[in-house]
Amino acid sequence: MDIDRKTLRDMLQLYQGIELSDEEFDLIEPELQSYFDIVEKMKELDLSDVPSGRLLRASEGGGI
Amino acid sequence: MATNELLDTTIADLAPLIRDRKVSPVEVTEAALARAEELQPKLNSFITILNDRAMNEAKEQERAIASGNYLGPLQGIPIGIKDNIATAGIRTTLGSKVLSDHVPDEDAHVVTLCRQAGAIVIGKENLEEFAAGATSNNPHYGAVHNPWKLDRIPGGSSGGGGANVAAGVTFASLGTDLGGSVRIPGSLCGVVGLKQTFGRVSQRGLMVTSFNGDHIGPMTRSTRDAALVLQAIAGYDPLDPSTVPVPVDDYSDGLGKGLAGLKMGIPSDHFFDHLGPDVAIAVERAIAALEELGVTPVKVALPTMKYSAALRIPGMADGIVTHEPYLSSSRQEYGPDTLYRTLAGQFVLGRDYSKAMKVQRLIKEEFARVLQKVDFLAAPTCPVVAPPIGAKNVSMGGKEFSTRGPGAGYLARNTSPSNSTGLPAVSVPCGHNDEDLPIGLQIIGRPFDETTILRVAHTYEGVSPAQGRRPSLN
Repeated sequence: MDIDRKTLRDMLQLYQGIELSDEEFDLIEPELQSYFDIVEKMKELDLSDVPSGRLLRASEGGGI
Repeated sequence: MATNELLDTTIADLAPLIRDRKVSPVEVTEAALARAEELQPKLNSFITILNDRAMNEAKEQERAIASGNYLGPLQGIPIGIKDNIATAGIRTTLGSKVLSDHVPDEDAHVVTLCRQAGAIVIGKENLEEFAAGATSNNPHYGAVHNPWKLDRIPGGSSGGGGANVAAGVTFASLGTDLGGSVRIPGSLCGVVGLKQTFGRVSQRGLMVTSFNGDHIGPMTRSTRDAALVLQAIAGYDPLDPSTVPVPVDDYSDGLGKGLAGLKMGIPSDHFFDHLGPDVAIAVERAIAALEELGVTPVKVALPTMKYSAALRIPGMADGIVTHEPYLSSSRQEYGPDTLYRTLAGQFVLGRDYSKAMKVQRLIKEEFARVLQKVDFLAAPTCPVVAPPIGAKNVSMGGKEFSTRGPGAGYLARNTSPSNSTGLPAVSVPCGHNDEDLPIGLQIIGRPFDETTILRVAHTYEGVSPAQGRRPSLN
C-alpha cells in the first residue's frame, strides 16, 4: 500500500468520525487491498474514450 | 392430501385448489405457521414470524374467495419477505442491530403488489447484516442454516428466504439481489432464484445499498412459480425512477413451448474458472441435457470479464454513503464483517469510480454483442456447494478464496456480473453432490426477456436430476 496507514486512519476520522485501532485497521485491509488490486488491473485499459455504464434515460414514461 | 403435505407442493399446484375452495387459505397458512415455528430452532430463517397478522390475512382472503372475489394464483399463498424490504407496521431490521426497532410506515411497492394479489405474508426473513454478504451468518439474529445440511450456510444475503422455500415453510420468498443474493441462496438451497432485468421490478421500499444493481426477486420451488410471482411484481413504478415502462410479458405463456431452435452461449471466460469439481460436473451434465432438449451450444468469448472485479467499486462507494448516517453514532452496533467491509469504501476515489463505470460499459456492450448471437447464456450459479457456517475461506485448486467479510467475493463471482449488466438471470437446481448439497445452473438472458430464461429453466427443470428432491431436515 503506497498511502501510509496514518493518513488512511485520519481520513476515516475526518470523514466518518471513526477512530480505528491498528488491529481494526488490519480487518479493513483485505477489502482495501482488493480495491487497490482492481485499480492496478484497470491501468491495463485505455478508458479515456469509453462512455460510462451509468444508465441514462430522458423522461421515459412521462416521468414524475 | 394432508394439509401439511400441501406445503411441499408449488403455487401452481395449490392455487387451483384454493380457487375451487378445496383448500382454504386459513388451513394452508395455519400449517405454514406451524412449520415455521417447528423449524425456526433448526433453520433460524425468520427474524419475525407474523402469526396473528398472517392468520387475519388468511381469513380475509378466505372470505374474499367465498364471496366470488378470486384474485389469481397468489391468493391465499403463504410467502416470506426478506427483512430489508419495508412492511408497514412491521419491524424491518435489515438484519441489523442499528435498525432493530425500525418500523416502516409503508409497505414496499412489491409487498403492496403481493398483498393486492392476495398473498399471505407469514414473516420477515433473516439475512446477512444489511444484506452485505453471501453467507446469511448474521451476528445479531444468528446464522441461517441450510435445510439440506444444517451446519452449512444457505447462501445470502437472502438466506432465510432460500431456506424457507427449500424447507416448505413458504411457497415463495421475496429476496434482494445486489451481487447474487437471490440466486446464491437459490443455488445453495436447491430452489429457483430469479433476478429479473434491472428496471423490471420496483425497488421502492428496499433499503438499497447501491443504486447500481440492486434488485428484488423471488425464490420459489419451481420456475413456473417464479413466473407467477414475477407476474405479480413486475412493472413500471412511477415513484421509482429505476423502473422502465416496458410492457410486461405473460411469463407463464412461453413455459411449455420447448427449446428447439434456441442457441445457448457457453462463456469461455470467467464463469467456468475456479469451480468445485462437483459443480463443474453437474453443470456440464445440465448443458448436455439442454442440448438434448434441442438447444444449439455456441462457445462465446467475454474477454473483458477479466476486469469484472472493477464492478465492485461502485458498490463500495455506495455502501459507505448508505451507512454514513449510522456509522459514527452506532459503530458499536455493527458486526465486524459488515463494518470493516463498509469502511473500506471511504477510500474509493472518484477517478476509480468513473473508471469502474466505464469498465461496466465495456462489459455490458460485450454481453449485448454476445446475446445478439445466442438466445441465452448457461453457466454455474455458484462456484461451490454450500460451505460450512463460520468458514471464512474455501480452498479450490490450491488457492484460498474468501467467502465472508472484507475482501470476499468468491461466492458471488458468477452472479454479480448480471447485477452490473442488468441482464435477467435465473438459477435452477441442476443436481446434488455426494453430500446431497444442491448445485445451481444459471441462465442469463437478454434485457427484459425473462420469458426466454424462464422457458429454458422450466424445460430443463423437467429433466433435472434435482427435480422432486427435498431436504429431509434430519
